[in-house]
Amino acid sequence: MKSDLGFFLGLFAALGVSYAGIVLASNAQLGSLAPFYDDNNDSTYPKMSLGVSVRGQLVYRDLGCAACHTQQVRRPSFGSDQARGWGDRQSVARDYIYQPYPQLGLHRIGPDLTNVGDRKPNALDADAFYRLLYAGSWGMPSYRFLFKARRIGLEAQPSDDALNLTGALEPEAGWEVVPTQRARDLVGYLVNLRTTYDYPEAFPVTAAKPEGAAPGAPAPKKVHRPAPPGAGGPAAADASGPMPAGAGAPTPAPTGAGGAR
Amino acid sequence: MNGEWTPNDSASRGPLLLLLAFGILWLVVSAGLGIIASFQLHEPEFLSEYAILTYGRVSALCETAFVYGWLANAGLALALWVLGRLSGEPLRAQNWAVAGTLLWNASVAAALVGVASGDATGFEFLGLPSYVQLVMFFSYGAIAVAGLLAWSGRIRRVSFASHWYAVAALFVFPWILSVVHVMLFAAPARGVLQAIVAGWFARSAWALWLAPLSLCAAYYVVPKATGRVLPAYGYAAPGFWCLILVGGLAGGRHLVGGPVPAWIPSVAAVSCVLLLFNAFVVALNLRCAFSSKAVELRFISVGIGAYVLSAVADSLTTFRAVAERTQFTHADEAQGQVALYGAASMILFGGIYHALPLITGKAWYSARLVVAHLVLAVSGIILLVGSLCLSAFVQSRGLLDPHVQFSEIFQHARPWLLMATLARAVLLLGSTVFLANFVLTACGISEAYRPASLGPPSTLEAPGP
Repeated sequence: MKSDLGFFLGLFAALGVSYAGIVLASNAQLGSLAPFYDDNNDSTYPKMSLGVSVRGQLVYRDLGCAACHTQQVRRPSFGSDQARGWGDRQSVARDYIYQPYPQLGLHRIGPDLTNVGDRKPNALDADAFYRLLYAGSWGMPSYRFLFKARRIGLEAQPSDDALNLTGALEPEAGWEVVPTQRARDLVGYLVNLRTTYDYPEAFPVTAAKPEGAAPGAPAPKKVHRPAPPGAGGPAAADASGPMPAGAGAPTPAPTGAGGAR
Repeated sequence: MNGEWTPNDSASRGPLLLLLAFGILWLVVSAGLGIIASFQLHEPEFLSEYAILTYGRVSALCETAFVYGWLANAGLALALWVLGRLSGEPLRAQNWAVAGTLLWNASVAAALVGVASGDATGFEFLGLPSYVQLVMFFSYGAIAVAGLLAWSGRIRRVSFASHWYAVAALFVFPWILSVVHVMLFAAPARGVLQAIVAGWFARSAWALWLAPLSLCAAYYVVPKATGRVLPAYGYAAPGFWCLILVGGLAGGRHLVGGPVPAWIPSVAAVSCVLLLFNAFVVALNLRCAFSSKAVELRFISVGIGAYVLSAVADSLTTFRAVAERTQFTHADEAQGQVALYGAASMILFGGIYHALPLITGKAWYSARLVVAHLVLAVSGIILLVGSLCLSAFVQSRGLLDPHVQFSEIFQHARPWLLMATLARAVLLLGSTVFLANFVLTACGISEAYRPASLGPPSTLEAPGP
């Protein structure tokens, strides 16, 4: 370290390496990731976030939900994510391009929430989310401050949104519990957490079985599953039914991202 | 200039004591918040009726107070002290340092209020709402001015390992903070890029800012306190450049298997393994701390041990086979505690125990309280990391088996989380003892204690050959 200037320049160059290596390189690769255009149903994926989703994500972020819940499904051979029914495929970068504040999370003190609005067979609906937030569960606190108790009577009609509470949680006669706007935003966000469209990059090349595979019939290298016809809209996705298993016949569904440009 | 008090020390007393006082105060605050967060892990309903105290917010508050309150203030105090001593002149630009310190701590307080009232960012290591980041940038710069003037105006033109680590830390933090402010807040990056940039920041803040701040103190205090030339000092420079060059490249180590290009966690794995060289060099250079009886070197030797352990743990957990088991469990928290408490804080404790008698010109108020702090801090951190590792083991087994429900994992991990809360209580007690001893010493009541290292003056001029 003979000269101070040399030291400073060395320091700056060394910092530049990690900045260019991680930040700039990943930005170059992912910064202009385009939505995927599907010829079959003339639509692009992912869909833009709904207004309620954007507001709800702010609530999710400021309450620190990501301290316990992740939103990323890993591939089948890595952990039990898909065996737990958290998603039919791994999460890919394209899933998050329209989210203002992606909440990937670092801890799983509670379950993953990637596809929580579209899990089969036991997806939670809005009422179930409200009850869960109000009552808490094993290991999860209740969030009563997201709700308010209201007197009902001659002056105030019962609300359509009042929580259907039973047992110890049931409010006194003449009272009801309703969600605040923040709770509505949060639940609106959670029920719309769906990754229903299968991008080609979500099914990376799978290794052929080393033994037992018939010599004449090599295992398919890339398995594309047909996208459900109405995967985008919340209402349509519910009707799309169970998806075919991954080993189904490879279809000439979307190939390459060329159509997206 | 060998362990003995010099007039230059008392000339820079004001700003250094101010930084240390704020730092130790934040340490106690963060230890208290840590108990709340830890308690909520096994009693989820604890304080759940208060929106400002959800688990997510309290853990962010605890981390912010610890990193930006305690580690930053204490690390800067020691860095300025070391740079000032090595310059051979009284610290210059002290007004800048004082103004910067007041502004910095006001913005830490504003950040805590902001997170509690709903401006949490949700990023690891970056619980700072965007509006305090600019203030922190400038106030850090103001504090750094004093250190940089001491560096550039030093009488003897040679530089030592303490210099390199201190100057690197002074430059790096404003640099990475400004990058992350632009890429996450001013013009947010798209999608998962935010997670990548935040990971890069968290890793750089540890490897390029907090670790150098504490290593600067270790590289200065160990040769001073032992009176010996550092062995294998020729490797110190390659060790330093290894840390600076590849430290930030491990930014993607949490993203193994995540929705990012696979090269990002792969680069992280390579970089974590390369960093083992730096940990090896640090242990090689500072190994004489282990054989010393001086109490500040006891702290520092624990810190060096934890630094090596944290480097080994980092490199192991970036491998896919290990990450599959440790990812998303309390193992991550345990690793963080080994690095931030076990390594950085322990070294800073040792540095402060060495420096404060020289800064104030008075011995520590109570030698017993120093030993009590040592016992409480070491037992607390071992208990905390041990219990977090055991709960991570339980969690990992449960998470890998798709038939195990989260309620079962919670029940099985609960006893260990209870133990972690106990460990947090021990750490809070230790921090309170430290604060009490610091306040009593700074007020200057007793002459009872004198660090062993202040005994025989040695002939060593400066650390290193």
